Order: sequence, then structure tokens, then C-alpha cells
Amino acid sequence: MPKNQSIKRILIIGSGPIQIGQACEFDYSGTQACKALMKEGFEVILVNSNPATIMTDPEIATRTYIEPLKVQYLEKIIEIEKPQAVIPTLGGQTALNLALELDRLGILKKHNVQMLGATPAVIEAAEDREKFRSILDELGAKYPQSEMVKNFEHGLLAADRLGYPIILRPNYTLGGGGGGVAYSPEEYKRMLVQALHESPTSEVLVEESILGWKEFELEVMRDASGTFVVVCSIENFDPCGVHTGDSITVAPQQTLTDDQYQDMRDEACRIISRVGVQTGGANIQFAVHPTTHERVVIEMNPRVSRSSALASKATGFPIAKIAALLAVGYLLDELKNDITKVTPTCYEPALDYVVTKIPRFAFEKFQGSKDILSTQMKSVGEVMSMGRTFQESLMKALAALEMNSEGIPDIHFNLEKMSYPNSQRIWHIFQAMRHAIPMTQIQELTKIDPWFLEQIAELVKFENKLKTSPLELPLLTRAKKFGFTDARIGKLKNLTAKSVRDLRHTHHLRPSYLQVDTCAGEFLSSTPYFYSTYWSRAEKTQPPQNIVAVIGSGPNRIGQGIEFDYSCVRGVQALQKLNYAVAMLNSNPETVSTDYDTSDYLFFEPLTEECVLEVFDFIQPKGFIAQLGGQTPISLAHGLVQNGYKLLGSSLESLDQAEDRKQFAEICRGLNLMIPQSTMVGGLEEALACEKSIGYPMICRPSYVLGGRRMEVIENQGELISYFQRHQDFISSSNPCLMDQFLTGALEVDVDLVRGLEWTVMGGIVEHIEVAGVHSGDSMGVVPPQRLKPETLLKIEEMSRRLADRLDVKGHLNLQLAVKDDVIFILEANPRSSRSVPFLAKATGIPLIDLGIAAQLGLKLSIEEQNKYQWRNLSKICVKGVVFPFKKFTDSDSILGPEMKSTGESMGRASTYSEALVKAFLSSSITLPAQGEVFLSLRDKDKVPLLPILKNLKMMGYQFSATRGTADYLKTEGIDCLMLNKVHEGRPHCVDRIRSGEVQFVVNTTEGRHAIEASFDIRRACTDYSIPCLTESDAAQAFVLALEKSKTGRIEVSHLA
Amino acid sequence: MKTFLVLQDGEIFEGQGLVAQNPFPEKAGEVVFNTAHSGYEEIASDPSYFSQIVVMTAPMMGNYAVNKKSWESKQIWIQGFVCVQMQSSERESSWSKCLIENQVPVMTEVDTRRLVLKLRNQGTPWGAIVQAPTSELAKTKAFALIEKQKNIESDWVHLCSRQKIEDHSGQNPKGPRIAVLDFGAKENILRELRYRSSAIRIFPSRTEASVIQDWKPDSLMLTNGPGDPAAVQKAPETIRYFIGKIPIFGICMGHQVLALALGAKTYKLKFGHRGANHPIRDEILNKIYISSQNHGYAVVAESLPKDIQVTHHNLNDGTVAGFYSKRLNLLGIQYHPESHPGPHEASQLFDFFIQNMHQNQVSTDQPKTAGTLC
Repeated sequence: MPKNQSIKRILIIGSGPIQIGQACEFDYSGTQACKALMKEGFEVILVNSNPATIMTDPEIATRTYIEPLKVQYLEKIIEIEKPQAVIPTLGGQTALNLALELDRLGILKKHNVQMLGATPAVIEAAEDREKFRSILDELGAKYPQSEMVKNFEHGLLAADRLGYPIILRPNYTLGGGGGGVAYSPEEYKRMLVQALHESPTSEVLVEESILGWKEFELEVMRDASGTFVVVCSIENFDPCGVHTGDSITVAPQQTLTDDQYQDMRDEACRIISRVGVQTGGANIQFAVHPTTHERVVIEMNPRVSRSSALASKATGFPIAKIAALLAVGYLLDELKNDITKVTPTCYEPALDYVVTKIPRFAFEKFQGSKDILSTQMKSVGEVMSMGRTFQESLMKALAALEMNSEGIPDIHFNLEKMSYPNSQRIWHIFQAMRHAIPMTQIQELTKIDPWFLEQIAELVKFENKLKTSPLELPLLTRAKKFGFTDARIGKLKNLTAKSVRDLRHTHHLRPSYLQVDTCAGEFLSSTPYFYSTYWSRAEKTQPPQNIVAVIGSGPNRIGQGIEFDYSCVRGVQALQKLNYAVAMLNSNPETVSTDYDTSDYLFFEPLTEECVLEVFDFIQPKGFIAQLGGQTPISLAHGLVQNGYKLLGSSLESLDQAEDRKQFAEICRGLNLMIPQSTMVGGLEEALACEKSIGYPMICRPSYVLGGRRMEVIENQGELISYFQRHQDFISSSNPCLMDQFLTGALEVDVDLVRGLEWTVMGGIVEHIEVAGVHSGDSMGVVPPQRLKPETLLKIEEMSRRLADRLDVKGHLNLQLAVKDDVIFILEANPRSSRSVPFLAKATGIPLIDLGIAAQLGLKLSIEEQNKYQWRNLSKICVKGVVFPFKKFTDSDSILGPEMKSTGESMGRASTYSEALVKAFLSSSITLPAQGEVFLSLRDKDKVPLLPILKNLKMMGYQFSATRGTADYLKTEGIDCLMLNKVHEGRPHCVDRIRSGEVQFVVNTTEGRHAIEASFDIRRACTDYSIPCLTESDAAQAFVLALEKSKTGRIEVSHLA
Repeated sequence: MKTFLVLQDGEIFEGQGLVAQNPFPEKAGEVVFNTAHSGYEEIASDPSYFSQIVVMTAPMMGNYAVNKKSWESKQIWIQGFVCVQMQSSERESSWSKCLIENQVPVMTEVDTRRLVLKLRNQGTPWGAIVQAPTSELAKTKAFALIEKQKNIESDWVHLCSRQKIEDHSGQNPKGPRIAVLDFGAKENILRELRYRSSAIRIFPSRTEASVIQDWKPDSLMLTNGPGDPAAVQKAPETIRYFIGKIPIFGICMGHQVLALALGAKTYKLKFGHRGANHPIRDEILNKIYISSQNHGYAVVAESLPKDIQVTHHNLNDGTVAGFYSKRLNLLGIQYHPESHPGPHEASQLFDFFIQNMHQNQVSTDQPKTAGTLC
């Protein structure tokens, strides 16, 4: 069956801002699908609210809308664009739910839009647990015993029948949101309330526990004629009980016999056929009892997913691309295998290597939340690695996490840390074996399949051998085959990583680069997708002369995410336009940059000095780009330059001058630029001595921290003393603490510019909505600025250029500035592409990355072209919205501060500021309640400035409730207000009222550690019940502006130019 | 002592022998590769691998130990087992122990990727696994072994076939009586037949047609088996006797010999098809599916008689994967509908054989299927 001729225009829905459970894998799948459909001659209409994506680059689709993923906006777009079809399976749960809603409301029918890939009936059959279970019954497939619970009382009865531990799975939520494992009735009751609340249908499946069973996942595809293939089998290292997104996983499956595997495959085929997936990809999860081999079905997703992105990277089978082509009518046998180019797509990849995925977590960012893994996903990113053996693959993945260059460092062993799933367990298993804890005990505690543990035991046994034997070639070769990093070998032998590397090089012990070819070598393949291994000497290919390497950003983490992948991918494309062959290096399977289609050479490798250097020695690049992948490549640059490779763009000296605070401060002083007062101290005594020169409030942080960890605003001496007491382990004269003047009430801005040879282009100035002190990644922002005076903007531009000149930037420069009383302070300079670059590029249309590449290559830019890029001539106002993961981290505080906590961003784009705000809030899933009660708890200094807004809210018909201080104040101002108890004043108190659902939104501004702690319950209640909670007065103002606008009900959409 | 795989052209691959394999059984065979991820036991116990050294492209072997219930015959047939890593486990029934007991030379830590690319590019050569202090000595030893192995009886089917008639009762009393011409049958072919038949009788490969006819079979099954179909003696003649008289179903070697009996020709593929991921277009079941494959030879499509229709195509390289004649009531399938290892989707061909091809001769009661079907 060739492609469907009746369809010309297809709507594709993206997945919105990055959040836990739904990250840049959907940028990868969406981009791939768009490209494939465009190539087939379809017109593609793309909607996504996330500006940091490649898919929202205007050239990817025919029309690109950066608009909220909400029904009313989608309907408007459908009205304008009149697509004949929508593919809902490419944008994660968000797109799937949205498409279902559009269908339910009759909007699709009204506009004659058909759903391709999965119909509503199919989505419901797979996603509605009761329907899915009846299908499984029909097929004779087993599943864990469970009951669908619709209210609290019913839930209690169900638990009595099923026993503990018991698993809660709310219906229709993302990444297991609101679910978890309850071990006791108390825990269960608490979780049940929240789970019922989380589910949009107030339904929770409570399920018999299969903790400790082996877990598997099959990535499958099916076309309209019923042809079925398993693209990849995945086995979880962590047994059932840990969300698969949080598990270490391995592909292909390793511990099932062929019989067991084929039975599972048959069942998958029966399920997908019966559910009715007509075309496209799906994944099905299974659990297998470790001894009886009984098999149960856990769940099915009728769409591309995080695992399908992983499976695509692991096998070379481009699931999303093929899913899109199947959706428009092609059959698997009509499409060619993308990698071999000769065989058809109806095949199952054969792997001659082992793939390991390890998630990366961010528990340290969310104080108060416990590092325990469960059925609700908590990881923020992941790495993938390939090796010829499981051991090599596992060790490479551990190194790729970029947490420790040794990969498997010695740690302080804690048996308890091994006895439950947590983010550190893998290292505790290694350590337990080093401490000779018996395998049986480890197996009993972890329930991990003995096969995996035997593999690790062999590594640990070898560590001992390494320690005690001379480091001769056979031993060194063995160590490298096992996957030991040079750093770890060095540690065990009391050598530096560099001397191990030198030794290795004298012996010519180098990795080989093997091709990922989908067929284990059976067919000739020319796709240049490589991984390194010490197990082979095969396939010496000669890379071309004109090669430039781009280093990616590694696993997503808070502070370094999809924005940098956007930069890398755009950078690769820009280099290709200039006729360079580009080698991409990255370890993150979720990204567009690790699509083998993106670059000319893809090296799926850990971004460590060792691995990157080996790749460079292999390809001999003309130069490398370090400005696009965030901090990861910047920190690698020194080592690479020292080994003779050419850093393109800004020199190491420039990088150092910007990054080193001392040098940077001197430069600023030399240019007469203001910087906040600052000093470094080795302990409390010194701190108290400098207290006067800095003044309160001040910001303290240990000097080596990343992304603002342990950074606090200190209001007075008491807090200063407390700070040093609490963080004494991290502060010493060798690791001093930074004390910076804190600019109260200042406006903060982000500046991005590109400086080339004799030219500079301003990318734009993003004005933060929250006051200075909130991490720039966490604050909302707007371009063009709404509050700064034009002359201040000119001044900022002028001094930014001057600073760029002085630093001799060649390429990108990002500055963070604070403006207080018209005085501009420079807070920070980043000599690289920044988080705000994709946002600005989308908002202004200025191709910042392309210009950055031109600058890094030392290209000239004509005056006309320089003048073409005017960031202030904007037809639309763009507001950056922010998405936080507080909900996933129970007991974490949603108050914003200098430490970044957000996972994603959205863009609201409109003709007016207020409408752009509306869109940004909606896109960040913050509801804009049209009426009801507002709970206020304000610090004194916010009361007067917020008064006009409160009066405005009153006029708009909202009611108020507040704790005593605020309530009294409002009454004196003539505003009616319900007075509520503070938590310590007895019940019912304000938190009870929030939890009872009476409150529509909360404004809670506070300062000082004690006040922050005292108001924690208020914010947590809001997080748990998805009630908007503004913790900052400027944000509250913006929110009210948005409320006002949204009440007009006017909806306007526009596509990118 | 080092362990070497020496190929007939003199190229040498070094690897590790198992320490416990002492003395080391040195053997020669045709060096072939298999791309299946799982199923090492089924592969090693499949008689079709007679006289072959099997290189597994999946690097990790022995992961799930041994379970003789999954064996495809009562013994291990391969001449050598080559992989990257063999699980070294304390567990009782380890795969390496099993291979040692069966005198199969095991070689691990081999650069199988380089080896497989060579086999793919140059075809599957003879080779031998030997231990020697130097590569030169290894070559000398290996060449002698290769020469010896090359000189064994060329009708490998005869060497693997049962030498005596064997009777099995079937599990479907209303099912047909099926004569099986044993070319080195995999157990699962027999299992699939037992599920669907009332009785099966297994005959040695060189049995006279009259001996089979005496049993009055309702149909004839030709099994898989090793080696070159053109070297198989007697069987084409025996088969020819039954063509057009009773339904005939040939699998793999059975399919090739059936083609020869029809006057067609076979040829050696460059490196064969061995794995569990080959796509097939099946015009009888009218679907496309993934199949289990293991063959070094194929049927020349153009050489088949005019009224024999090529109904099954290997979609990777377009080779003949099966043919069918309604008039002559015969079906040849190049791959393995009995799977083991590999996907089960083609097992419906057994139903086709029993239901459609026996239509006028036996009860049409729905037989029970052995494998689970999609």
C-alpha cells in the first residue's frame, strides 16, 4: 500500500516543556517524523509550546506554532490550517491526551480531521486500565491482580483484599505521576488521596505487588497489513518496583531463554493486534518471575516513548520516522532499512554489542525529598553506552554519567543503601562486593538477577588483581576490555589518568570504532554511527580531511538540558552548510544530536577526556566546537587543547577570563563595569570579618558548586553563622565559600550576543520577571523587556559589546546582569551558547547558532547582514514560562532561589505582554482560575507594592483569605478578607483550607530561613494539589495581569515567520 | 598455549580456550555465523549444524545456563563454538560445562566482528579451532584437520539421519499418518507433527520409496538437515515416487531436496542465512513475518518447473524462501516454521500442510497448534 493520497496536510503535536517523564526524546521523535513527512511531500503543521526544541525550528515543518498545548489553541490552529489528519503518537502522553480531548469534544469531527497512527478507540484500549485488562483476559495474558478504585473507601477495601506492599497507579498520568508503592496502611492512605487527585478521571489502579520480578520491555512496530516486528528487547537491571525510566536497562534482553523470549514476543504481537494499533510503534512491559518464570503484562503505550528513543539509538532502527511513514499508509516492506539502505524495514535488528542505559538523578537539588526509587519516575536524564560486552557497556555508561571520572569510585559503604532502590545503589553494589559481602546476600537484598551480579563480581575481582599485579600489557588490555577508565586504573595503581593513558599509548592499546549497522555485520552498511570498544580491531575507515567535531552536552540534568542539544544540532547544520564534515560526540540517547541522521559521523561515547581524546585521535578533526554543549565541553576544552587539538572560537584564555571570578572581576574593574561586592572566605571567622564589606543581604555558596547548589541568600548574622555550620563539610580554605553582595529588588536580565571577527550581533536581552536572586533558569522572562528604560537597554548593549571585545570572545557570550536604580551590575559571564539562546532565536528569528559558528570559524559578516539582525524589531512579545518537578519530589519546597530547580521551559508568544503571559502560564500547566478565593501570606515589604494588584483582583471578583498579619493589613485597606490560622495556631488552619480545595491560588512571599521553613506546608499543599503558588511579588503581578487578560477569553494564534 | 581459529586461507583469529577444557578438543568445520540473540542450545543441538563451527554474533553467551528440554536433538552437533564472552558462573548447569562434556571446542574473546565481516565478504570457509604455542604451528595442525574433515562422507544428511525406523504416536487421533524422511530432523518439527497427526514414522534418509509406501502414509514430511543438497543420495528418487500421490512438505534441506526431485537446481549462498530476524513474504498465509533461518544453499528460482510457484520470498536478498504447487500438492519452505530458536509466526504453515493439503484425505477437524500463534 503506497502512501495515502487523500492527505496533504498533517498536524503534529509536540510534547511541550521538558518535565520528568517527558523529555527531549519527543523532540527527537517529532523532528524525525516531521522530516520524514516533509520529504514525502506532506505539509506539516507543528504545534509545540517548547521553544528549546529543534522541532520548532521553522525549517522543520511547513508551519510552526509555538502555542499552548491546550484544546482551545489547537482548535484555533485547526481552523486556520485545515489539516486533514493529526498524528497524536509522537508527542508523548501530552499529545495523546490532547488528541483524545479534541476528539471527545467533537473538534476533530467538526473540522474533518482524522487521527492517524492510533484512533481514540486504540488509545483507550491501551491506556484505560480496565479496558486493557479485559483485552488481556480475552487473550489469556496474565497481569497482576488489581482493582480500579474510584474513591477512598473503595480503596481501603481493595487494599484489604490485595495485601501489602501495594502499588498505586493513577489512570492517564505521565511517568507514573502520583503513583508509588505503599508498604503500610498509613502510607497507603496518604498516597491514595493524592493518587485519586492526580488522575484526571479520579481513578487509581491499586495493584498486587510484583516487587522483585524481572522486568522487560519490548519495542514493537506494526503496519496496516499486520506485519509485526520487535525492534528491541530491553531488560531492566533493577527488578520490578522501580519505574523503568529510573532503572538501569540493558538491550537486548540477556537472561531469557529463546523459548521464554519468543513466548513474550508472541504475546506482544497478540496484544498489539487486539488493542488495534493499526500502524506505528508501541511498547509493552512485562514482568517475569525469577524462578517460576511466570509472566505478567505490566502495561502498554500505543505511541513512541522514551524507550522507543532509546531503542532507536540502541539498534539504529528509526522508530519515530517509520511510525510516521506507516501512519500515512506505507507498509514495512515498502520502506528501506535506513542504515543498510538495501534491506527492507520489516526486520528485527540483530545486535553484536550490548547497550546499557543509566538514568541521572537530581535528588540533591530537592532538599527534604528522599532518595528512594519507586514506580513514579524521578530521574531527569539518562546516558546510553554501547560495548561489546555487558561489562564494557556498563562501565562506559557509568563514566558517561559525568559524575566521577573513575566511573566506579570507592565510596563509603552502607549496607542499608543497597537494601532498597535508590540513585546510588549501583555503586553500593560494587562497594559491597569490594567488602566481600556474599553474592547471595546481595541478591537477596536487591533481587537483581544473579547474571548481572556475577558480571559485576567479575569486575570487582579484577580490581583486586589490578591492585596487586604489575601493570603490564596483558593486564592493561584486560582492564580496558572490562571497561575500566584510565582514571580508575590510575586510582588503583597510584598513577594519574594521564600516565595510564601514556602507558596505553606506548603499547598502542587503542579502542576500535565499530559501526552500529542493525544487522550484526550480515549486510554492508555505510551509516557512520560508531561506538568504541577494546574488543575488536575491525573496520579501519579513513575519515575525511575536513572534519570538525562538535561536543554535545551529555545526560540531561537540571541546568543543562535540551537547550544545549538545540545549539549542537543547529551548529552541526550550520557547519554542514559551510561544507564541513561534522562529527558529533554525545552520550545522551534522548537527543536529536544523537540521531545518526543529524551529523556526518556520530560517536556515541561518554563525554570524558579519555573517550573524547580517543575519538579525536581517530578522526583527527581540524578543530572542535566547545561552545554549544553547555558546561560539559567547556570543561573538556583544556585537556583537548593540551593534546594538540584546535579549539574553534574563543581561546582557552578567553574562557578562563570569563569563568574565573578573580580574573573576571579584574577585567570588569578595568572596564569600569560594576560587579557586586564579593569575597572568598575559608570559614566562619573570616566570613564574620568580611560581613561589613559585603553587607546584608548576601549570597553564600561554596566556590566549586555547579548550578547554584548549596547557594543561599543570607539576611543577617544569625543566618550567616547557621549557613557556615550547616555547610562546614563543603567549605575550607582549599574549597572557599563565595560571599556576594545581594542586590535586593534588582531587575535581572540575560544578554546573549555573538562576536566575530570585527563584528558583533546582539541576540537580545531577556528581562526576568522575578526579581534578581531567583536563578535565571527558574525565572520567567520576557523579550523585548517591559520594564527597563530604552536608555538602559542601550547601555547594556554597549557594555556587553565592550566586555565581549575585552574578553576577545569569538562566538557566543551570555551575560547575566542586574539592574538596580539604573545602575547595571554584571553577575556572571558564560563564554558559550546559553540556555536562553534557543528562546531568543525563536523570539527574534536571529539565527544565533549559525552566526556563532561563523564567528567561531573566523568568518566575516557584511555590514548589511550585521544590520539585518535587530533583536528589538519584534512583531510579537515572547514570555518564557518555567516548569518545575516539585510534585515528583515529595517534601521538596517550591520556593524559588539561587539554586536552579526547573526542568523545562515554554514560550508564550503574542501581540501583547499580557496575552504572552497567559500563554506562558498555560503552557507551563499553571491554571488561570477565573474566580474564587486567593490565599495570601505576604512578607511586610511586599504588602504595599502588592496593594494595587489586590484591589484589582477584588474588582475582578476574587475573594481573599490570609493569615493574621496580612488579613489585618487588608482590612485596614478596606479589603474584605477571611482570616485563617497559621499552621501552629491550631486547626482548621490555612493549609487545611488549601487542601480542602477552597483556594484557587496562593501568593506566598517570604524571606529568611525560619519564615521559609514555617511556610513550607502552604507551598507543599499547593504543589500536591496543583494550585498556582506565587512566591515572589513580581511573579504575582505578572500572574494577575495574565488572569485579567484570560478573562477576556480572546484567543489568538500565529505561526513563526 | 594459545587458542586459534585458523581459516583455510591461512588467516588466523586468536581467542581464549576455556581453562577447564583440558585436553582441548581440536576440530575442523565450515565456519558460519548466526545472528540470533538467544537460543544457543537450540542451535548447537540442531543437526543442520553438522560439521560447522558456529560463530555467534551476539557477544554474551551462556547467560541462562542449560535446559536440555529445549534441545533440538539428543546431542550437540557443532564442531566449535565461537563468541566474545561466555558467562563464567558457579551455577550447576552452565553452558560452558555442557560444551566441554560434549567435546566441543569453545573459543571466547574472539574479534567476532572482524571475523563476521570477513565471512560476509568472502563466504564461509573451512576452518579449525586448535591450540598451539605459535600461529605457525597452529596452521599446520589446522590444515591437517581441515583436510581430514573435508574428506568425510559428502552426504552429510546420511551421517545425521536416523539409521533405523522410528515410530511416534500422534496426539490428534483424527489427524493424518505422516511419513518423515529424516535428513537430520530438528525435534520441534517432529513435535509440531505429533501435535497434528495420529502417527508419524521416521525413516532414514536413504529409505526406498517402497518401504515408506508399505506403511501407507497420508503424507510425507522432508526435514531439515546439513550440507549440500546435491550430495544427498537416494532421497530425490524416493521423493519423486510420492510427488502427486500424497501431500509433501519439505523444510530447509527437505525443501532443497524436494526441488532437486522436481528437477530444479540448488546453489551455495555466499555466506548463508543464519539467524532469527529474516523477513519473509508468504503468499500462502498472505503476510509478511520474521523467520528463523539456517541454510547455506538455496534453490535456483528459474530452474523450478513452470507450474511450481515461488510463494515465499526472503525480503532481504530476494532468494527463494518457499514454493508451492496445488496440483502436485507439495510445499517447500527454506526457513524454519518450527522455529527453535526464533519467532513462531510461520508455524501456521504446519496447519496449512495438515488442513489444506490433506483436505480430501483426512478429517478436517481443527488440530491443536504446538506453538502459540499471532
